[in-house]
Amino acid sequence: MSTIILECDGLIKKFGSKVAVAGVNLKIERGQIVGLLGPNGSGKSTLLKLANELLTPSSGTILIGGAKPGVETKKIVSYLPEKTYLNDWMRVHQIIEFFSDFYEDFKPEKAYDMLKSLNINPQDRLKTMSKGTKEKVQLILVMSREAELYLLDEPIGGVDPAARDYILKTILSNYNEKATVIISTHLISDIENILDYVVFINQGQVVMTSSVDDIRDEKGKSVDALFREVFKC
Amino acid sequence: MPWELKSDRPIYTQLIEHIELMIFSGVYPLGSKLPSVRDMAQDAAVNPNTMQRALVKLEEDGLIITHRTSGRSITEDAKMVDMAKTKLAQEQISEFLGKMQLMGFEQTEILTIIDAMVKEMKK
Amino acid sequence: MLSKLFKYEIKATGRIFLPLLLALLLFAVINRFTIGPEKFDTPAMISMAIYIIIMVGMFVMTFIMMIQRFHKNLLCDEGYLMHTLPVEPWKHIVSKLFVSMLWMVISGIAALISILIIALKKGDLTKFTEALATFYHQAFELLGASVYLLSFEIIIVLLITLASVILIIYASIAIGHLFNQHKMLASFGAFIALSVFSEIFLKLFNLIPGTAHSSNIHISSVHDLISMQPAIQLMIASGIIFTGLVCAAYFAVTNFIMSKRLNLE
Repeated sequence: MSTIILECDGLIKKFGSKVAVAGVNLKIERGQIVGLLGPNGSGKSTLLKLANELLTPSSGTILIGGAKPGVETKKIVSYLPEKTYLNDWMRVHQIIEFFSDFYEDFKPEKAYDMLKSLNINPQDRLKTMSKGTKEKVQLILVMSREAELYLLDEPIGGVDPAARDYILKTILSNYNEKATVIISTHLISDIENILDYVVFINQGQVVMTSSVDDIRDEKGKSVDALFREVFKC
Repeated sequence: MPWELKSDRPIYTQLIEHIELMIFSGVYPLGSKLPSVRDMAQDAAVNPNTMQRALVKLEEDGLIITHRTSGRSITEDAKMVDMAKTKLAQEQISEFLGKMQLMGFEQTEILTIIDAMVKEMKK
Repeated sequence: MLSKLFKYEIKATGRIFLPLLLALLLFAVINRFTIGPEKFDTPAMISMAIYIIIMVGMFVMTFIMMIQRFHKNLLCDEGYLMHTLPVEPWKHIVSKLFVSMLWMVISGIAALISILIIALKKGDLTKFTEALATFYHQAFELLGASVYLLSFEIIIVLLITLASVILIIYASIAIGHLFNQHKMLASFGAFIALSVFSEIFLKLFNLIPGTAHSSNIHISSVHDLISMQPAIQLMIASGIIFTGLVCAAYFAVTNFIMSKRLNLE
């Protein structure tokens, strides 16, 4: 199996005259935890949607494990969008059954374990939950899959610090050398320590890529500090 | 000992220092087996690749040994550990002395202050 | 995968329809006992009114659900869940189409049964089945085996017409999705445009001889019915083909938009 799990080559996405992704070239290897960092509207979410075939490229290519986004790549990609996307009428255990049905790599035991740790009752209806709890459920569903590429769009934005720690711990404990986690976020200082590699993106283009340690070595500052410098308003 | 990681220095160097400290102070006794990279990474809340990098460096320095089938363990060579300990102490002290000189202290003054403080600590 | 989609679609819609169906049948039973030639008193009126409301509500619901399931589940936030499933987009369309059709047919059958429950008197059923058998025998004597073909064709015509109604709505909703603003307006516009195109296509299609109802077919007697068999068959078959083509076109438009022009907010 190739070592590159995500590859973008001259990737462009336009919405009418607006260019959201303006020619991205990127190669991400397996077994990495990568931060996709950039200000609002920089094209992070668009990039993740392109990887999921929720959008189709205007030109250029994006490959997951060497294949174009499609049914086969969706089997190995686990995506957490920024939105709450679960249907309201189901109970938690029903959505777990749903995921088990459609995803071969879904592990219900893991999901139930995590629900227990976060004190979420599987019998509860999604409709009755707070936004924060729904987001936790969504994250649990995504992390209970044994995927080869996890794409997390702002996974820790809406949760309290304790849950945030739990989520980062879960991401780490899920780590395996075949899989890669790409986290798109603004909350950099919280996740810096778990990142291998960061990709700075602005106005649809990759501004910089580097390992976290190299940044600290060469620039003597944290990724968070560098980000503030690079993206100063 | 809790892992306290600062944000402006590379993580892997801080991990190396922390693990060295644990070896020197005996928290990781000589010859003892180390937890897996993943467990250590989770414990420190850092990326496993970064932890791996730190452990590899420690191996190069001879403080840690990898056994083909049974993972990693601390070296049993007490002399080696002592040497490393002393080296670290020398680095710390020379940094300290450098600072003291910047402040304008003479060497004898420094020794007097240290002597007095050590006597205080012993009480 | 398709069967799994069916399963969840039925679960999601059944939780609304089954109670309605049961309520309909329940009130049919109630009405059977509360109405009679003499008893037009208030309870009877109320229960009849409720029954009618449920009946109407049920059919309205099938229509609303058909639209809502497609729009909400595939083109709104839930779309993030559905479109990241390892499933081709056409399977989503097919599963929703079939389940919508299913509920419409079941609603129709339930409505009929409920009417029978209310109106059927003792002996009616036997009279009815006898009349049906007589009709069948007569038809068979006159038309021979083609009575089967004809019945089969009529069922196909009904089903494929139902499918085309649903598919034109799906296509309109999908076209509306392409617009950033005024999506509903765009959907209505698309519906009108698609209807017009279908009409034009029908006129063109009917230029093919034998496909349209022409003045050559006079059915003034039963004898005509038999002799006109081939012509009638051709007309029906071409009707099915035309509707089939139209269905395929709507489906293709919807599928193209969902595969290549999806843009969830």
